[in-house]
Amino acid sequence: MGLFSYLKSTILSKIVMAGTGVILVLFVFGHMVGNLQILIGREVFNTYAHFLQSLGELLWLVRIFLFICLILHIITAIRLYFLNKSTKPAKYQVKAYVRSTLSSRTMIYGGIAIFLFLVYHLLHFTAGVADSSIYGHVERYGPLGIFERQDAYYMVIAGFRSVPVSLIYIVGVIFLAMHLNHSVQSMFQTLSIAGPRLTPVIVRFSRIFAFIVATGYILMPLTIMLGIVGGGL
Amino acid sequence: MKLTLHIWRQKDANDKGILETHIADDVSEDMSFLEMLDVLNEDLILQDKEPVTFDHDCREGICGTCSLTINGRPHGHEKATTTCQLHMRKFTDGEEIFIEPFRAKAFPVIKDLVVDRSPFERIMQAGGFISIHTGAAQDANALPISKINAELAMDAAACIGCGACVAACPNGAAMLFVSAKVSQFALLPQGQPERQKRALAMVNKMDAEGFGACTNHYECEASCPKEVSVRFIAKLNREFLGASLFEH
Amino acid sequence: MRLESGIPSGPLKDKWDKHRFEMKLINPANKRKYSIIVVGTGLAGGAAAASFAELGYNVKAFTYNDSPRRAHSISAQGGINSAKNYQNDGDSIWRLFYDTIKGGDFRSREANVYRLAQVSTNIIDQCVAQGVPFARDYGGLLANRSFGGAQVARTFYARGQTGQQLLLGAYSALSRMIGAGKVEMHNRKEMMDIVLIDGVARGIVTRDLTNGKIESFEADAICLATGGYGNVFFLSTNAQACNVTAAFRAYKKGALFANPCYTQIHPTCIPVSGDHQSKLTLMSESLRNDGRIWVPMKKGDNRPPNQIPENERDYFLERKYPSFGNLSPRDISSRSAQEVCDEGRGVSVTGYGVYLDFEDAIGRLGKETIEERYGNLFEMYERITGDDPYSTPMQIYPASHYTMGGLWVDYNLMSTIPGLHVLGEANFSDHGANRLGASALMQGLADGYFVIPYTIANYLAQGKLDKAGTDHPEFKKAEQEVKEKINKFLSINGKRTPTSFHRELGQLVWDNVGMGRNEAGLRKMLEKIPAIREEFWDNLKVTGRSEDMNMVIEKAGRVADFLEFAEIMAWDALEREESCGAHFREEHQTEDGEALRDDEKFSHVAAWEYKGVGNKPLRHREELEFENVKLAVRSYK
Repeated sequence: MGLFSYLKSTILSKIVMAGTGVILVLFVFGHMVGNLQILIGREVFNTYAHFLQSLGELLWLVRIFLFICLILHIITAIRLYFLNKSTKPAKYQVKAYVRSTLSSRTMIYGGIAIFLFLVYHLLHFTAGVADSSIYGHVERYGPLGIFERQDAYYMVIAGFRSVPVSLIYIVGVIFLAMHLNHSVQSMFQTLSIAGPRLTPVIVRFSRIFAFIVATGYILMPLTIMLGIVGGGL
Repeated sequence: MKLTLHIWRQKDANDKGILETHIADDVSEDMSFLEMLDVLNEDLILQDKEPVTFDHDCREGICGTCSLTINGRPHGHEKATTTCQLHMRKFTDGEEIFIEPFRAKAFPVIKDLVVDRSPFERIMQAGGFISIHTGAAQDANALPISKINAELAMDAAACIGCGACVAACPNGAAMLFVSAKVSQFALLPQGQPERQKRALAMVNKMDAEGFGACTNHYECEASCPKEVSVRFIAKLNREFLGASLFEH
Repeated sequence: MRLESGIPSGPLKDKWDKHRFEMKLINPANKRKYSIIVVGTGLAGGAAAASFAELGYNVKAFTYNDSPRRAHSISAQGGINSAKNYQNDGDSIWRLFYDTIKGGDFRSREANVYRLAQVSTNIIDQCVAQGVPFARDYGGLLANRSFGGAQVARTFYARGQTGQQLLLGAYSALSRMIGAGKVEMHNRKEMMDIVLIDGVARGIVTRDLTNGKIESFEADAICLATGGYGNVFFLSTNAQACNVTAAFRAYKKGALFANPCYTQIHPTCIPVSGDHQSKLTLMSESLRNDGRIWVPMKKGDNRPPNQIPENERDYFLERKYPSFGNLSPRDISSRSAQEVCDEGRGVSVTGYGVYLDFEDAIGRLGKETIEERYGNLFEMYERITGDDPYSTPMQIYPASHYTMGGLWVDYNLMSTIPGLHVLGEANFSDHGANRLGASALMQGLADGYFVIPYTIANYLAQGKLDKAGTDHPEFKKAEQEVKEKINKFLSINGKRTPTSFHRELGQLVWDNVGMGRNEAGLRKMLEKIPAIREEFWDNLKVTGRSEDMNMVIEKAGRVADFLEFAEIMAWDALEREESCGAHFREEHQTEDGEALRDDEKFSHVAAWEYKGVGNKPLRHREELEFENVKLAVRSYK
């Protein structure tokens, strides 16, 4: 049995989608909470960033784990997309949808958009390739400024000062929210946490969750772009 | 009532098929949808044209034979209603109606609106049963079953095997059908001995027959004339995962 | 011809046991050398095919539907009787036996009915073990209800879908055997003829409904489980495809057709709404447990039901039959409804309908209880009629529902053609002149699971037949005849559709062999049918080709057989000069309009022998002997 033999099974495939989805959703939420600290100020945000950096190997372990989840998520999605496309060789001349949503029917496209956005985001902030001018700044801190650390705060503020960059982020986050709107409740269903009373609650939760994530992530580029946060820099 | 009908005509599986337009101008609102087609067919025969071939039998919503997609919805727009139980009073005078077969790769068209649903048969043959031979049963009341489980099993067992779930699903998945049978037996003590084997056999057969994967659109539940719930799909996932991990 | 029922000797209670011991067995290792054809895969056929395969026989099963699960057994709503006596209300095998004999108006065989009551308990065990989700009490044990006039609660049910659940049970057993390779399943193949070699049933000829291919199949024994002939009325509660063809082909090859005039009219169906009507929908009889049946006192009272005051309503069943009231047997309820409608007091658009009112029950039990009991039936009614039964009374009218008559079979369920067995509604055996509610499912499954698996061995063990091969001239001849008939349909090129002939015939049969029959009407019908038949063969229009899926050809073939079959119904009704059960001869009634049986002259089964198209068939008699019950006048007053 090869590692990817689960792909032959529709149900195992979607369980992998849901399982990796849970990890990615938790990450998305955690990442958002962490990032929102930028609204508090440079000190707090840089401490947080420094803490992450200081994890060293552990950070890399987490990154590798997330990366594996992401790759499994993508491979499985592609496989399911082609499988599901093949099951309807003759299209309806007229088709009415009742329960499915725009989100649920556009998961693959939303997913592709999010992936492209993710690549840009990693190049932009993590690798610092997209705009090297914002990367590599140092903040001195501690008594008399004897310590120095990377100035993540500067990087983010400077990054989002650019209106096009902020707009890219806002659009990316909207795609993400649409994806989550369907996928969070879908995850619960696939992982068999469902029932006649439970499911409607989960569907609502999914919608609210997507909205919170969207708001949380949009808040940063939006406030910075408008000069509300980081204006004194 | 006067209606414009756009009806899918297809000679056989290899034919490309086309929508053909007919006018039905003396439709009574007390007619069922199939009776409306009966009247059209009688006219077509007398005009020496081939009548529209469609599957139907009991005409009381239980045999699961009728299988039309009406205006893009399997069995039409009425909730919890098979095509044969859909009545013309649910349409308005002058309406245009598109009538197509249940579409899915696993359900090839045989002729016009008739499709081949034999994959469902093979899924059932793979494991949709409790292996008990005639005469081997113990007394029926020797096995108490909680009313809740019996009712839930009945909810699942209400499936009429019409295939609307597959036809409605954007992915052509048969999960609702399979989950209903797997859940019915998984909920009952009689079904326990073969519980894991059954889940594996039926799902694997379903996959082999070329049905798609569920992405939780829930179009199946919305189209199901017996309102079989997608909660059974959630249950199927658990049953299948458990069986995959722990089956000996 | 002397009809040998083959009923074993000895006390009634021991007959079946004794018979099972006396019948020959086939060595388990030898069973695989025998093959059996089962035509029809409803409750009886499906159960039989699965059980044969489990025993080791090779089975070939046939249905004209796309799946065995579509058989019309699926439509039975109310339930299945069994003498379990789980409710401790005085039921027993003897009581179920007696009720069935009495319900059949003493026109069935004691031994058969007793056996049916005996195995009824095994059926419930079997079905529960298969996973049939019968209704249960809170304690987890099986629930029962009283049904169709029974005074004990012996009916097991699965919501309003009992037939469906039982059929799915048999279907799952059958599916298991198909998967195991022991049953060769032929879906969408219709039996067109039966093939006899040296007087013994050896095979069938079928038409593949998807491509018109005519094929032959051979076996050591044949079972027909092809249901009833209720569609001879055109409008009935039967499924659209139900037909008499298989049974009628057997009849034409020499099997006797017994009691064809015994047809049950079900009192609670949705009335006709117009000329487009293709079928009538049955509302479960269980509705009569809580609903009250009435019509206005005055003729032509057009007020809406809610505006007709209590004292201007005639609850005619409660009035005429105080002790059974709305639960009076099917034939009595049906006929009473027709009477009040004939008097001009009927409701519905055609004037042929009566109210079934739940107002009192809702007041007494609350809407919730009614919803729990009948919710899905009420929904179904509203879907069809557009009326809400919670707020306005239902309208109902009797419709043809079940046929007690069928091919004559002996105690072993074998017809007069050696090797040809007949199961379920297709045979005549257990219900006499009238069937009790919730007994059809019981009989179908009894025949399929618990009778034929034993008795067929007895037939097969008489000696292995030499293989004839489907190239045998008899097969070729039958195939040729089928092809010629289809070509004939296609070549007439007349001006009337098969359905229009069916409708015309159905009206004639309904008017004359429906609820009330009389000599004048029956003779008139016998005069008219040959003319319709002649026109059919002269003016029929069938479109398309024989090599395609062609539902017009299918319909034409079935109507052609109905056109001949209707005559034996009329003959049977004409010559049975008494009223019994569902057969009500207007000449034979008491002063107050009750059925008048003539036990002296008619305590027998009439079995008809084919004598050529249009010729009067020959009537044979099988005397019915009642050793254990006293013939009584049915009284439901």
